[in-house]
This record gives sequence, C-alpha cells and structure tokens, in this order.
Amino acid sequence: MESIHSEVLENDARLLTFDRPESAANIFDAATLLELNEKLDEVEQGAAGVIFISAKPAIFIAGADLHALETLGGDELRKFIELGQDVFSRIAALRLPTVAAIHGACVGGGYELCLACQWRIATADRATKIGLPETQLGILPAWGGSTRLPRLIGVPGALDIILGGKTLPAKAALRRGMIDDIAPRELLLEASLKWMREGKPRRRRLQAIDRVTAAVAAPLARRRMEAKTRGLYPALPKALDAVALGAMESVADSLRRERESVLELAATPECRNLIGVFQLQERAKKLRVPGAGKPAAIRHAAVIGAGVMGSAIAQWLSARGLRVLMRDIDAKQVAAGMSRITALYASAVKNRIMDRKESRDGMDRVSPAATETPLTGLDLVIEAAVEKMDLKKKIFSRLDETAPAATILATNTSALSITELGAAVGRPDRVVGIHFFNPVHRMPLVEVIMGEQTSADTAAAAVRFVQGIGKMPVLVRDSPGFLVNRILLPYMVEAAELFARGAEAAEVDAAMLDFGMPMGPLRLTDEVGMDVAEDVATTLAAGFPYHMHVPAVLGRMLDDGLLGKKSGRGFYIHGKGKTVPNPDAARYRDPGAQVRPDRAAMQRRMVLLMVNEAARCIEEDVVAEPADADFGMIMGAGFAPFRGGPLRYADTLGAAAVTAALREEAARSGSQFAPCQLLEEMSQTNRKFYANS
Amino acid sequence: MSEPLVIVDGVRTPFCKAGSQLAGLPADELGRIAVDALLTRTGFDPGLVDEVIFGCVCQPVEAANVARVIALRAGLPHGVPAVTVHRNCASGFEAVTTAAERLQSRHGQVFIVGGTESMSQVPLLYPETAARKFAALARARDLPAKLAALSAFRPADFKPRIALKLGLTDPVSGLNMGETAEVLAREFKISRQRQDEFALRSHERAIDARARLAEEICPVYLPGGKAGHAVLEDNGPRADESMEMLARLKPVFDRRNGSVTAGNCSQITDGAVALLVMGESRAAALGLKPLGRLAGWAYTGCDPARMGLGPVSAIRKLEQATGRGPGEVDLIEINEAFAAQVLAVLQSLGDVPQERLNVNGGAIALGHPVGATGARLTLAALKELRRGGGKWAIVSACVGGGQGSALLLEQL
Repeated sequence: MESIHSEVLENDARLLTFDRPESAANIFDAATLLELNEKLDEVEQGAAGVIFISAKPAIFIAGADLHALETLGGDELRKFIELGQDVFSRIAALRLPTVAAIHGACVGGGYELCLACQWRIATADRATKIGLPETQLGILPAWGGSTRLPRLIGVPGALDIILGGKTLPAKAALRRGMIDDIAPRELLLEASLKWMREGKPRRRRLQAIDRVTAAVAAPLARRRMEAKTRGLYPALPKALDAVALGAMESVADSLRRERESVLELAATPECRNLIGVFQLQERAKKLRVPGAGKPAAIRHAAVIGAGVMGSAIAQWLSARGLRVLMRDIDAKQVAAGMSRITALYASAVKNRIMDRKESRDGMDRVSPAATETPLTGLDLVIEAAVEKMDLKKKIFSRLDETAPAATILATNTSALSITELGAAVGRPDRVVGIHFFNPVHRMPLVEVIMGEQTSADTAAAAVRFVQGIGKMPVLVRDSPGFLVNRILLPYMVEAAELFARGAEAAEVDAAMLDFGMPMGPLRLTDEVGMDVAEDVATTLAAGFPYHMHVPAVLGRMLDDGLLGKKSGRGFYIHGKGKTVPNPDAARYRDPGAQVRPDRAAMQRRMVLLMVNEAARCIEEDVVAEPADADFGMIMGAGFAPFRGGPLRYADTLGAAAVTAALREEAARSGSQFAPCQLLEEMSQTNRKFYANS
Repeated sequence: MSEPLVIVDGVRTPFCKAGSQLAGLPADELGRIAVDALLTRTGFDPGLVDEVIFGCVCQPVEAANVARVIALRAGLPHGVPAVTVHRNCASGFEAVTTAAERLQSRHGQVFIVGGTESMSQVPLLYPETAARKFAALARARDLPAKLAALSAFRPADFKPRIALKLGLTDPVSGLNMGETAEVLAREFKISRQRQDEFALRSHERAIDARARLAEEICPVYLPGGKAGHAVLEDNGPRADESMEMLARLKPVFDRRNGSVTAGNCSQITDGAVALLVMGESRAAALGLKPLGRLAGWAYTGCDPARMGLGPVSAIRKLEQATGRGPGEVDLIEINEAFAAQVLAVLQSLGDVPQERLNVNGGAIALGHPVGATGARLTLAALKELRRGGGKWAIVSACVGGGQGSALLLEQL
C-alpha cells in the first residue's frame, strides 16, 4: 500500500502527501524512502513545484524508523543511511521550488526532509514541534541535517539545536530561521503554494563567515560540552565535528562525515541504551493497569498542602488546564503557596515556556482555600501535607467523610505506607499514592503506588491522570521508599559513610559524575535536605533493618543546623551561583577517619548498592519488570541514561560478576553489601534481567 | 406575584483604600477573586449559572464588559452570558434587581451577581487636544512630517485629566459629589460637629464589628517576597479615630465655608462583592438554604444637585409598594456617601430608629468602591439579620447624578 500520495494541483504544482497506512505516525523506513524516490521521478517530469505535506492529524514526519536503526547492522545500515541521504540530496538538487508544509511533529529525518526543501512553512499549533533530537538517542542527524542546518542558520545556531537535541515550537523555530513562515492550519496549503510561486531564492550563507564562526563557536561549544558530559556521550563530539568541520567542507564531504559518524555511533551501547530509554518513555505514555476498566478523566483536582511540593503540584496541574483547589490550614500558608506558584509561572514566562497570557490563565485556575470547603465536583484530591502519619490519617478520614464517592484520594507521600493510610478510611480502594519528584516542573517521573487495597480502577485513573498532565508514570507496589528513594538511599548512605571515613565530598561526588549521574550523591543530599534525607533513611532503616541504616554523620550535621541547601551549608556551601565544598564539614567525620579510597573504588561500591537494591525491587515485586526499575531510576533520579538503568547495567557486567563484586565488598565492609537472593540465583543460572541484553 | 429572588450566599474581598494593598489589582481581577471565592466556599457548580451580572462604574478599558471577563476568568463555562450594569453608586443594587427581573421575565433562574471597583486604577487621560496631535503624529509618513507633527505639541497637552475626579463630578449640575453634600449641609443646617460625630460612629461600629465582618470576607493573596501576603481585613476603619482627629481635617470641597472633610465622607476604595442568587423554587430544588429573599425594590430620580437625598424618595416609594418603611424593619442601611448626606436623609424621613441604622459601620469607615457597594450592603444586611434574629431590612443608597435606590430584604 502507498505511504505517499501524489496529486496535481493548479498550474502543475505537485502535492506529495505522507499518509502511512495503519499508523498514527509517518516515519521514514527504507520502503518509504524508495517510494519517495519514485514519486520524485514523476515530479522531475515537468512539475512546476512540489509541496510535501502530511495527512496525519498531529504528525508531519516523526523521523527515521528506529527499529531499522536498532536491528540493521553493518552494510545494511550503511545502505539505509545512504538511501536517505541520496533521496534528500535529490530533493535539494531539484531545479524547481520545493516547499515543506509542516503541521505536527517534524523531527529528525522528518525535519531533514524539510531542510532539503527550498522553503519550510509551519502551523503554530501546539502539536507542531520542529528539531533534530538525534543526539538524545546517541546518534546525530545523518540524512543531511548536520550539513544543511548550519548552511541555513549558521554554525552556532546549528550547534545549539543539534548538540542540544532540541525540538522547538513553530514561533521559536521561525525566530531561529529553521522555518520561513507560519500559517494557520486551514491556510497551510495556500500559504505553501504562495511561497512556491513567489518565494525569492535566498542567498546562501557565505562559507567565509561560517569558517570564522566555526573557528570561534566550535571550541567554545566543545569545552562546554566536555565539562557537562565528561566524555560519556560519544554522540556529542561527533555531532560537533559533523557541524563545525562539515561546515568548512564540501556538501559531499560533509555528508560522508555524517554517514561515517552515524555508523560508528549506532554500534555503541550508549546508542542502544538511549534508544531503549526513548522506548521506555513511549511505553510509559501508553501504560495501562491490568484488570482496570476505562479510567475516568480528571478535570478538577484539589491539592492539600501549599508547601513546596503542594504548590509546585498545583502550579503544574493548573498549567496543564486543570482547575485546582489548593488548601492549607491558614491564610499565611496559602499566601506562601500562592507566592510560590506566582514565581513558578514568572519563571516559565521568563524561560519562554509560555507567554504572559498563558501564565495568567494558569493562575486563574488555582482556587486558594484557607478554610474547609465543599469538595463537590472534585475528581481527585492529592494530599501533600507534612510527612506525619497521624496528620495524614486525620486528613484522609475527613476526606473520606466529605469527598464525593467517586473522588480518588491520593497522597504525595515519599515514605509513608499507602496501605496504612488506606486502612484509616472506609473506602481504601480509592486510596492511592501519586508521588511527584522535586522539582515538579523538571522531573518527568511520577510513581503511582498501589496499596494492598487500592483497586485497579483507582490505579488506572491515577496512571491516566499522570499521563494526561504530561508526566510519565511507573506503577509501584506499596513498600518503604517505593522505588526510586528505595534504590537511591543505600547509595546516598554509602556516600555519606565514605565521607565520614575520610573521603573528600568533591571526590565522592566526582566518582559518580564520572559514572554519568547528573549530580553527585552528597550534593544531592544537600539539595534534598539533610533533614529529609535522615527522615527517609530512618523510615527505610525501620523497613529494612538488615541492610539499611542511618549514617551517624547526618545526625551530627543536623544537630549543628547544617541542613544543606535550605540552610546554605551542608556538605557544600551554597552561595549565590557558586557552590563549593564546605571545609567545615570535616569535623563531622567519624573520629580517626582517614580512609581515602580512589574514585574507581568508591564508584564501584555506590553503583553496586544501587544495582543490588534495584534487583531487590524485582525480587520483591515492588515493580513488575526490570524495565520499570530502570525507567524509574533514569527518569526519577537521573541514573546515567546511556547505561540504560541499574539493571541493564547489571546485565552488561553479568550477574556473576556483580554478585562476586558484592560479596567482596560485603567481606570488606559488612552485610549491607551482601548480594540479594535474586542476583545469587541469576549468577548461578547465568540469567539476565533483559532477554535482549 | 412572580417567583421571588433569594440570596443564597455571598462573599467579598477586603475593602482597601485606593492606593493601598489592593491598588495593583484591576477590577476584573478583584471580581474574579470574589467569584472564585464564592464558588469555592459554596461548592456550587458553575455550569448551573444562567448569567453573570456585575456592577462597575469605571470599567477597565482592557476588560470591556468586565462581568464577562470576570465570568470567564473565574471558570464559568463559555455558554454562560454576562452583562455589566451601571447605575453609579447603586450599580451593586442594580446587579441584584436585574437578576430579579431576569427571573421574573423567565430569562434565567440562577445568577452570580455582584459589583467590583478599582478606584486606584481609574486612569489619567490625555486632553483631547493631545489625542488629536498623537493621531496626526501616527499618520505622518516621513521624517519632515513627523517633526512637524511633534512640534505641534504644547505643555498643556500633557496635563493629565484625572478621570476619577471627572467621574465623581455630575455634568448636568456641574457639581462634584462633595459639593452636593455641602448643599445639603447648608440647607439642612447640619453642623460640622454632627457630621464628625456621625463619622466617628461609623468607625467605632466598624471596628467593633471586625470579627463579625470577617465572616463575609475572602482573603486576597498578593505575591511578593518569599512568603507572599494575605490581605484579610478592611483597612479603612480606624481604631484610633476621634473627634480631635476629625476636627483637624480641613473641608475639601468648599475651602472657606465648607464642613465636608475627608474624614466625614466615604473613602475612595477598591473592592469586589459576589453573590449567588436564584429563584426561590430553584434553591429549594437544589437543597440550598438561602440567607434571604429580595422582597421589593425602588429606584427614583431627584435633583442632581441634591443627589444625596435620593434615598428619601426611594425608601418612600419602596414603602408604598411593600407596606414596609423604616419603622417596620429591623435593620436599615443608608450608604454613607457623606455624613452630611445621611443626616439630611434622616432629617427628611424622620422615622429612622438610630439604633437600627448602619449597625456595623458604613462607607465612611469601610469605604465605597462605587460599583460594589450595593452588593455589600445587601450581603451585610442579610448576614446581620441572620446573626441578630431580625426579619426585615431596608438597604439604600444615594446615586450620583440624582437618583435614589432602596431594596427590601427578608431573612429566611
């Protein structure tokens, strides 16, 4: 069946419509490229111009077929890359006007087609996103994107888009020169025809200017990139070279550079793992709860607690179009919450995430309440008050009395038992955990936690709700620490102990930055707050006394008021813009502490603890599958995504090696390192967490 | 008699002096806050509302038909129409009585009504001469023409017209509101002393009623600093008001011979009020217990130069229609536009028991956001009837331009 339909418009203009059968999306696989090539044969026979358009409601062309990228090897992959390059180069060489009429997602290979056209016209719809995100998948634009974008908008602009893997809305894309015009959806074709007929050919940017900017921009970008990525993302230096060096070469040479680079990168485990992460994200977006009916939509929600998390959740929900009632015990608390929401909206406007009007509309959707109010019409209540069980129980039993029968009662607790909360109400089936991560506007993961009595329907509604507000859910069984905090804690505790025994905070953190974590564990402890960390550690130590404990150093620092970032001092001193290790922290070490293991040894210990704990989560059915644990750790804790998550990483080492290493550390330092049962079994049977590892 | 209108519940923002805490909020924002608070505290489904009717005298130019803007921003569905009404100082009453008329003419059953005013944000205007010259400048095509257009401006073109002042001046009589109060002070021989005493009374009662009034007030949250700020109270009433302080003030509207000062007239104030009103049978069907019923109303006209006497004719007309005058009700509110004006009304009526008049203070202490006042008086009277066990109240106001307004309310 055809994926591309050809139509003749007035005056011999040719319209090529992409409409992949039985799919919501258009993608470029080999078959589609060949079909496009054939259609170009017809076009070259006397068309006055060509317009490329899509028939899909929200997607122009979503890029290259990722399946091909994953499964094709060596020569076949080379042919696939060459095919795309050749077809697009053919379009670029056509001696007639070519226009891309863009509505919806236009990314990767989809945008590379547009780059080969003379003009690009787009709608300013929300669905329209334009960019080159290949580096996020561990590759680079290799169908002419790395060659044509710098020649269109200059080297610095192209570096920003390609290295950042950015996709932009239409207005931003227009500002950067990535498209030529914006038209309303109903007039997209007309506007494209107009450009086709009347557009004046643009003067190519001069090579000389590009040489100069390349000479200046590229080294700067390289330094910045190296500082950020510590050499862990091979796609970035290759993309940088493709753009900066390619800009100074001929188009043919630049295309060859793209080709060779992508073939090297596609073979890397980083690429495979990053594509895996992308697929996990898609999986999360489609997550369904087994045994549930069709989940009810959530339109009107309440957040109880106007603190840091409560107000951030209320802001996020209101920005996504929900009406939110934000409640706290008195006007002072509510005022503080409203002020935080105002600041979050101001920041979003400043960062051009939304405009003033959207920000005002969002604020209008927040209804503050400093006294008890009726809960009629509420589909969901999220409790985000203080982390004290008796207070939460009071709130929940009151909600149980006053909320409509169909209202879902959720808690944002990070540590308390959903099951226990459920037991405090008459209808535990509608109690569920919806756990956001801090800061809400940046962390995409939300844990949906099922208590023993939580019904499948409630969980399904919670999952659907999370997806509907643009976050990604992971379904977790109620147990101390749920998923992410559970796995993070022993790692953070070990970091504190390493410090307590004599290691420098900066060294401990550097060890994990080298591994690919976005932030070191001691810095993370400071960010989260020493008090919160101790609280969570205490809860987990109570839940898992055999292998979790509270490091004494935390208590010592807390006693002296070192709370971390919120008090300005912790393991680090948090100044305006600068954060430096706190020399004073040394006196909280254990007496006689002078052990300074090297980075590699420290890294090994900390990573092994995460792996071990993640394995326990599988062993105990905290999550259903290894993919859930890895996804949670990547999206909720920033676990080095190019490693695919702690369990994927374990597979790369092999269960036997992991188990042996854990036993070594256990012998050296104690039972908290003892490998879990599952790992022991897997090492004996040579099993992997993933079938395709 | 057709279906009566009942008032189910209401709420208002704190009333704050112009230029103080609420000065940064335009009238549509104040109205939105009041309507949002009303919906929140009642839990009422906005989808059941048939129309939104709001009084406002100085509508923000960026929010034309401020009632519609308020309705949409407060989350009412697109399908709920809205209209803004203007009867000067009785605009708040007008919103309530318009809802009653809609009900009677079968154009709806459930309404959100109220009033809003930001007197802080009444604009300054360029003189008309300047407006013409700006237009000419905009039309100029080239540099010489632009320079020529620029050179036509004179200093007088930049002297702002203070719209607030203009708005408070009646164009037919040529007198501003304060001057009409001076007319009555002279004609009725109302001394400065009596006016100041009345003003003091207003403050004392408002201060005394603070805790009671808190019940009808919703917080206004202002951002700023780390903790933001909640405005919870009216800031007009002065606990330290005294005859000495009042005596120190100079007359404002007639410097040489006048007696009306800033202390014995209503304050210029920002605030908004929102009421949920509906047909009595609809309230019953929804299981709602109303505060009270609108039992009658009257609007009358009078001499614009003596607009302060408006309540006299309105209250008499209301009495004729309903059989109840000041002697037959438990509470009376006469809006305190000016102490002199209220005293003149009392003298004319002759039968107003003082202990039932403005029992919780009035606009001299609380302020008079012109579009909202009528709605506040309605809400305040109903709440006080409920508290005090009374049955009937008359609420009334004089109206700039020479009108009177009066409503009869029955506690349910």
